[in-house]
Amino acid sequence: MSTMTEPALATQVYSIYIKTTPEKLWEAITTPQFTQQYFYGARITVVPDHYESLGPDGSDLTTGDVLEFDPPRKFVQSWRSLWDPEQADEPASRVTWAIEPQDGDYCLLTVTHDELGASPKTAASVSGGWLLIISGLKTLLETGKPLAESGD
Amino acid sequence: MHGDDDRVFKALADPTRRFLLDRLFERDGRTLTELESELEMSRFGVMKHLRVLEEAGLVVTRRSGREKLHHLNPVPIRLIHDRWIDKYTERHVSALTDLKTRLEQEDA
Repeated sequence: MSTMTEPALATQVYSIYIKTTPEKLWEAITTPQFTQQYFYGARITVVPDHYESLGPDGSDLTTGDVLEFDPPRKFVQSWRSLWDPEQADEPASRVTWAIEPQDGDYCLLTVTHDELGASPKTAASVSGGWLLIISGLKTLLETGKPLAESGD
Repeated sequence: MHGDDDRVFKALADPTRRFLLDRLFERDGRTLTELESELEMSRFGVMKHLRVLEEAGLVVTRRSGREKLHHLNPVPIRLIHDRWIDKYTERHVSALTDLKTRLEQEDA
């Protein structure tokens, strides 16, 4: 793994079962008091026509539009990473959050980050991040506690 | 149950399925036909393996036009890492860190 360059993926799919309700999962994705506990400290607010993502220092972490807002099932956003100038110069990509209720009080959450074909730096940068974010989100909803920070 | 480690470990306990994951790691979003061309195995055999991977959540399929594309879902492996790897490696790491701290204190 160490010598191999990870491919920058134009479409990235992350899916996970979380023991929670669609409403709670939706709230955890769209409100800052939840997102700051698993999303690199970002305070994210999503409303029907706008989203805001503030980093711990108060600057915008990402920017984009709300393309689809269908609580508690689907949220689609356009995405431009602002934490790195080279990524900020790349074209916007798209992130889709889909929540599907399952038997036994579970939800299947699928995060698809696509339209990254012209944004290789963003693609490479977000691939590890989503894993940490999504496993942190699961831990938060299932245990009520944030995932302990383990150094990369 | 969903996200059960058993399914993931079982899915990983087969060389063909690990091979398929490695191919998807190299290039994600492939059709059955593409994956099949890399294996000396019937289409049906490859489908069966992909189904096991899908049931374990390691592979997710999505439609793109008329094609069904297979994507690697790295989340279950991450969870196994969090649950099984971190736990055991952390102790060694912290033992080494403690040792370093002790030795440096002795030096001082």
